[in-house]
Amino acid sequence: MTERVAEVLAMAHRILIIDDEDDIREVAALSLETVAGWEVTTANSGAQGLARAVEYQPDAILLDVMMPGMDGPTTFRALRANAATAHIPVLLLTAKVQSTDQRRFADLGVDAVLFKPFDPLMLSSQIAGVLGWN
Amino acid sequence: MAPGKQTVLNEALDRLWIQFLPQMVERVRTLETACAALATGTLSMGQRAEVNTAAHKLAGVLGTFGLTKGTILAREAEIIYSGGPDTDPEDAARLNVIAGQLRSIVANRK
Repeated sequence: MTERVAEVLAMAHRILIIDDEDDIREVAALSLETVAGWEVTTANSGAQGLARAVEYQPDAILLDVMMPGMDGPTTFRALRANAATAHIPVLLLTAKVQSTDQRRFADLGVDAVLFKPFDPLMLSSQIAGVLGWN
Repeated sequence: MAPGKQTVLNEALDRLWIQFLPQMVERVRTLETACAALATGTLSMGQRAEVNTAAHKLAGVLGTFGLTKGTILAREAEIIYSGGPDTDPEDAARLNVIAGQLRSIVANRK
C-alpha cells in the first residue's frame, strides 16, 4: 500500500446520519460522499439509528433533533447509555435557531450542534473542524 | 474542492431537488391551506401544529438547495405560528404573503 493510499483510507471517515426527513438525509449523504469521499449510512428514526450505530460503528453520528417517536435528545441519551455506542461523537443537526433551544442542546453534552440549512459544500469541513479531523 | 467535484455535486443536488419537489410543494400547500383557515377563523390546533411543522421543515431544507430567502421566510412563518393560538390580523396577512412568496421561490428554482 502506498503512503498516499494509506492516507486516503485513513481519512475516509464513516458517518451515520439519523434524520426522519428523506430530503435532508439524502442531501447530507450526497454532500459527505461527494465532497469529502466519506462513507455514509443512514437511518430514518431514532430507533433505527441506535441499531445501525451498534452494527456500523461509525466515526461520528449526525443526529436530527425533531423526529417523531424517539427524538434527537432521547436518541442521544440512548447512544450514550449503550457501551457499544457511548464513545461515538454525536453532532446534533437542527433547524431550531432560538437561543433557548441552543442552550438546551449544548447542555445535553453533544459534541457539536450544526444548523439547518447547511451548505452541502461545507458540511464535511464543518464536521471535520469540530471533531479535529483537519 | 476541484471544479469537477463541485459540478458533480451541483448536478446531483439538482436531481434531488426534482425528486423532492412534490414534498416541497405539499409543504407550501399546507401553509396556504392554513392561511385560508386563518382568514375564516377555522384554524384548528391540529392544523396549527401541522403548519408549524411544514414551515420548520421548509426552513431547514430550502437553504440547502440554495434558496436562502425561502429559509428566511419559512422561519418567519414558523415563529408566527408557534406564537400561540391567536394570530393577529397583521400576522395573518403577513403569513399569506409569505405563503405566496414561498410558492414562487419553490416553483422558480432552476
